[in-house]
Amino acid sequence: MSDKADVWQGTLALMVLKTLETMGPLHGYGIGRRVEQTSGGALSINYGTLYPALLKLEQEGYIASEWGISENNRKAKYYKLTRAGRRQLAQEAHEWERATSIVARFLAQVKG
Amino acid sequence: MSPARGLRGWCMRLAGMFNQQKRDRDLAAEMDAHLQLHVEDNLRAGMTPEEARTRALQQLGGVEYAKEEYRMQRGIPWIETTMKDLRYAARMLLRSPGFTAVAVLSLALGIGANTAIFSLVNLLLLRPLPVAKPEQLVLLSNSGDAHSFPTFSYPNYKDFRDKNDVFSGLVAYRFSPLSLSHDGVNEKLWGFTVSGNYFEVLGVNATLGRVIQPEDDRMAGAHPVTVLSDSCWRRRFGADPGVIGKNVIVNGKGYTVIGVAPRGFYGTEVIVAPEMWFPMAMQEQIEVGDRWLDKRDKELIFLIGRLKPGVGVAQAQTALNAIAAQLEHEFPEINEGKRVTLTTPGFAGRGFREAMLGFAVVLMVVVAFVLLLACLNLANLLLARAIERRKEISVRLAMGASRGRLVRQLMAESLLLSVAGGVLGCLPAFWLIRMAATFKPPVDFPLLFDLHLDYRVLLFNLLMSLLTGMLFGLLPALQATRMDAISAMKDEVTFAGARRSWLKNGLVAFQLALSLVLLVGGGLMVRALQNAQNVPLGFNPQNALEVSFDLKLQGYDEKRGFQFQKLLLERVRALPRVQHAGLVDLAPVDLHFPRSAVFIEGQTVERTAKAPQAMTNRGGPGYFQAMGTRLVKGRDFTESDADNAPKVVIINEAFARRFWPGQDPIGKRFSRSAPDSPKMEVIGVVQDGKYAGLGDDAPPYFCRPILQDYSGATTVIVRTESDPQAMLAQLRKEVLALEPTMPISSARPLIARMAVPLLPARVAAALLGSFGILALVLVAIGIYGIMSHAVSKRTHEIGVRMALGARASQVLSLTVGQGMKLVLIGVAIGLPAALLLARLIRRMLYGVSAADWPTYAGVSAMLLGVALLACFIPARRATRIDPMAALRNE
Repeated sequence: MSDKADVWQGTLALMVLKTLETMGPLHGYGIGRRVEQTSGGALSINYGTLYPALLKLEQEGYIASEWGISENNRKAKYYKLTRAGRRQLAQEAHEWERATSIVARFLAQVKG
Repeated sequence: MSPARGLRGWCMRLAGMFNQQKRDRDLAAEMDAHLQLHVEDNLRAGMTPEEARTRALQQLGGVEYAKEEYRMQRGIPWIETTMKDLRYAARMLLRSPGFTAVAVLSLALGIGANTAIFSLVNLLLLRPLPVAKPEQLVLLSNSGDAHSFPTFSYPNYKDFRDKNDVFSGLVAYRFSPLSLSHDGVNEKLWGFTVSGNYFEVLGVNATLGRVIQPEDDRMAGAHPVTVLSDSCWRRRFGADPGVIGKNVIVNGKGYTVIGVAPRGFYGTEVIVAPEMWFPMAMQEQIEVGDRWLDKRDKELIFLIGRLKPGVGVAQAQTALNAIAAQLEHEFPEINEGKRVTLTTPGFAGRGFREAMLGFAVVLMVVVAFVLLLACLNLANLLLARAIERRKEISVRLAMGASRGRLVRQLMAESLLLSVAGGVLGCLPAFWLIRMAATFKPPVDFPLLFDLHLDYRVLLFNLLMSLLTGMLFGLLPALQATRMDAISAMKDEVTFAGARRSWLKNGLVAFQLALSLVLLVGGGLMVRALQNAQNVPLGFNPQNALEVSFDLKLQGYDEKRGFQFQKLLLERVRALPRVQHAGLVDLAPVDLHFPRSAVFIEGQTVERTAKAPQAMTNRGGPGYFQAMGTRLVKGRDFTESDADNAPKVVIINEAFARRFWPGQDPIGKRFSRSAPDSPKMEVIGVVQDGKYAGLGDDAPPYFCRPILQDYSGATTVIVRTESDPQAMLAQLRKEVLALEPTMPISSARPLIARMAVPLLPARVAAALLGSFGILALVLVAIGIYGIMSHAVSKRTHEIGVRMALGARASQVLSLTVGQGMKLVLIGVAIGLPAALLLARLIRRMLYGVSAADWPTYAGVSAMLLGVALLACFIPARRATRIDPMAALRNE
């Protein structure tokens, strides 16, 4: 059970970083909403699981947080990507692509 | 992810452990904001306020769960849970202060005592000599009996030194009493005479000036130089750097100070600290008038060799014995049968070291026992508490808590207790060591007892306390969490439950056995000491006193010495309340009583080396009377048994029995040391006595007249009709009246002499006794605690029984019986173990057999009595239980 959670956490982290790159600084709710939208509704996450993940990213220095004011004048904590986070995103994205292309080649082979 | 990132993450998590409340508030605020945003979105999407809120909450998921996950990510969970466990444990412990106090105190005492003893053993036995590469050094011992010091003669030393090829150097040394004249005051101190290569071979250099070198030792009497020890330089010469080149008077002769030894260098004996070093070539000047450097049969020096690299002890020993065989061949009279063994240096010989080792081992075992006892108590008490919380534990287990987690929680308590005990244990450790350091053994020479608390030992102490905590907390914790969940929840306890607590019962029985062993040991020692007071000494130590000084060190020659002695005796005899007074060179009982070979007229001996030996000293007229020694036959010395008169001697009964059994010894003759020395005629026989130790059985002894055989070392024995203490001042005055600068080496009641041989017995009795009592207290507390517990557990059952008609006495006998059965098992185990211990210390038990049944019976009775009381009190409480209340008590 725990390693599934790790994988999930890993992919969630990647999605969060990508979201922040695309959307710029965003608060927790916004990130969750965006992830949901981007996945086309296939992922319905518990927004609660976001926060530990966000904390981890912040501890590792990939994102930074700051309290700010939202659109409707509410206080919210905004997260933004750091330079290290940008680098990490690029690296992880690259690795994902490599991994998926290798597996795809295999699957193609077996079928053929 | 690079390691740097990982490290950053970790550091942030570490930081996350602080300011927790603030962070919690932050998180709550953030999630609140999140909720608000979501609700607003939902409202905009057209939901009703309740729906909006419900949907938002749903999507958020379990808030508390999220918060928990967040917290776990934020800090370092296992540290936090451990801190929580510890805090909880501390609260629980503070709630039962009695239990906590007892457990911590007993642990503190056990751990403290262990630390102190370990420091002592470390100092005395494990500390290496303060020289270069001490592991290469070996002490030469001529395999003789373990009682005599392993000494060699100077000519033999030279042969060993020059003929061997296994040592890179062989040194010789001897310790001598000295009288230092400094600023008009004479003080007695001790020094070493050493061979020229001593410092060189040891690898020790002077911190000021230079050390003794081989050139200083070439010719007898040629180089009157001396090296001071660091403490001597500081204490007596005020650390004056101009001390080099200064002239000091030692034993009446001038010496030039050539150097100061390094701080911390105290020579080659672990416990004797000399203040000055002299070349052995100065021997005759230092031991005024006594020349033995060229005498092959005078064995007076210690030898230490440094093994060449690559040479083993066995190899060296064989090589040395080859030389010994050669010496035996060349000088058969003197060297016959002499062989060499090699041992660790520092203890003036094997016998002493073995005694120390034996003592240390016994001590460590005793102290370890006490610690074990304290730990067992702790384990028992912890187990009892764990059992008490059984219900709670089984509920938690049933709800899915991991066993490991629960065990950790239970162990938090034991860990806290043992760490508290360890920390507190530093106090008794300090005290014990302070006490031991100020303890002055009643011997003449300067013992070096530089006892201090070793910081390594302190660390060891704390480590031990942690270990005890873990070890003795683990077992009860495991046992408690292993319980059958269902029956625990039903709180079913019957007397059959005793089967389950075999561990607990076993521990108590073991504790009892342990304390029995200690108490029996203590009891036997106490009886031995009592007996020792009554051991027939051959003299009466009561109402007598002694004053000792050394005329030789003062520079008196024989003629002046005789005069001084005569005059002093006259004056002392004239003092009021003096019944008898006499002179002697060395009175019994003393650690190292002189012995001599005797050659009986008409009884030939094959070789000098094989001649029988007897104890001997030199006494004057009135000496035996002053000592209270009975003259059995013949007469005492008189003033006319002086220089030119025929040589006479007084022997003891054992001597007569040994050499002239069944005959009248009066008139018989013998000589001492050499077969052709002048014969002495026996004129009197005195009663047997003890001379070198209380364990001696009736050794043969003879006394030469001090008027015919002058001794500079003088002791005046005075018998008074009243309190000897009062006379001491007067006696000193008399001595100083005749010689104002005479250093008086001892002035004390004769009974103080007994302190030396009784020392080990006294110490052993004190230790065993006090530890035994401590053990008893611990056991009593343990039993009381367990019985109380057992009773409160069975309150329900007792209620049932009483409601069904059981009488108070029946309940009482049931509960007490249960407890006493255990006690009896413990006693049964303890008795044979005690017997074993007694056999070990057999040698110190004067006049008491190791199987002295009154002691065993007495101690067992005491233990049973205490245990009975400890069982009885809680049991009585049981009978006072109101059956209705008990039945209602779930």
